[in-house]
Amino acid sequence: MVEQHRDVGGNPDRSGFEQVFLPHLDAAYNLARWLLRNDQDAEDAVQEAYMRAYKAFARFRGGDGKAWFMTILRNVCYTMIKKLRSHETPEPFDEEIHQTMGESEMQEAFRQKANAESLHGALEKLPDEFREIIVLHDLEGLAYKEIAAVAGIPIGTVMSRLARARARLRTELVAAQAREAL
Amino acid sequence: MMNHDEAARLLGPYQDGELDLTTCVRLEEHLAGCPLCQQKLAGERELTELIGAETPRFTASPFLKTRIQAALRSESAAPETMHWWKQLSPAWLSSGLAGAAVVLVLLAIGLSSMAGIPELDQDAIANHVRSLQASHLMDVVSTDQHTVKPWFAGKLDYSPQVVDLGLSGYPLIGGRLDVLDHRDVAAIIYQRRKHYINLFIWPAGAHALRDRLYNQNGYHALGWTRSGMNYLAVSELGEKEFRDFVTMVQDQTVDTRPGE
Repeated sequence: MVEQHRDVGGNPDRSGFEQVFLPHLDAAYNLARWLLRNDQDAEDAVQEAYMRAYKAFARFRGGDGKAWFMTILRNVCYTMIKKLRSHETPEPFDEEIHQTMGESEMQEAFRQKANAESLHGALEKLPDEFREIIVLHDLEGLAYKEIAAVAGIPIGTVMSRLARARARLRTELVAAQAREAL
Repeated sequence: MMNHDEAARLLGPYQDGELDLTTCVRLEEHLAGCPLCQQKLAGERELTELIGAETPRFTASPFLKTRIQAALRSESAAPETMHWWKQLSPAWLSSGLAGAAVVLVLLAIGLSSMAGIPELDQDAIANHVRSLQASHLMDVVSTDQHTVKPWFAGKLDYSPQVVDLGLSGYPLIGGRLDVLDHRDVAAIIYQRRKHYINLFIWPAGAHALRDRLYNQNGYHALGWTRSGMNYLAVSELGEKEFRDFVTMVQDQTVDTRPGE
């Protein structure tokens, strides 16, 4: 049963829309800000996502509004990233290439000295797909299933990508600490 | 009892609370006797706690909320051009001559609004490019149209026609959910040598897609509307092969109205 979120005039029901989706504003902004790396672009992306979602609201079938909205936002962000970085040579994302050094070496090298600054730097260095999955899971608290819906990937991929993203983050943190020690 | 490799792989999902009860119990059995896994789990916990505690979560400024609300207000105040025809009085349509006039007007407007929709083509190309990055290309991997088509059931409120072009040198390799034209759409993926073709399919809305090739940075996009469905093919294939593909899909799409 498709619920129609429209008022009598045929326009999407604005207050209903705001009630469902404005609570996700911070989550949306956080993801956009981490993906786009600056305030202005993040704000534009979030606004664009709200407009798109509003126009598509009649087709929203209830259920997980956050995942539905984050899917739209993520699309807007990637379209913007492509435009913003069109002058750079795109680096294809390859999970194999982003394999990290041995787990046990990492474990050994990793000391809990990381602070907000080094974590921020390390997270910034991750490829978009890795940064995104850590933001969605560890910061926004989305479940694997929700991330699968948002990123359009199978749950198994969510699991392996998150593992690799964390391992890679650890590598970056250790590398940052090593540089500091010099 | 779970073996070590499997256990090590499941430590992340375990600490994320994503394992089902049975797997959980099996993993804990292994964990109890494996110092290596215990150590690894502690390290994983340490890292996630650190991320949670130390990573800044950006929050939207209050101005952004105001700005969005204002934009929504002006959007909802704008007349809805897509559905203007709904406001036509039925009396109009019942009167023969006026009815014919309306049909003519509708045709004229229909034709003029069928001009290419570059935004849609651009979005479709962006989707195509993104699908080639990461492992985003396919959610269902299959060369069988009878596997790909049912996969969309329950994920979309329509059923896309999946044609098999394997014998013509464009094998079907899978399907994916994507977002285009502000809605969830089916993306069917075909392969031609090392190139991929994304074929997006979704119910036609107010505007029909005109059969016109759109080019951007070496990517082609071509959309058409048939039997109430929009089709939009995107690829980096050469133009000739791309057009061949489109023609084959058009020839093989069975002409049925949805609901028949």
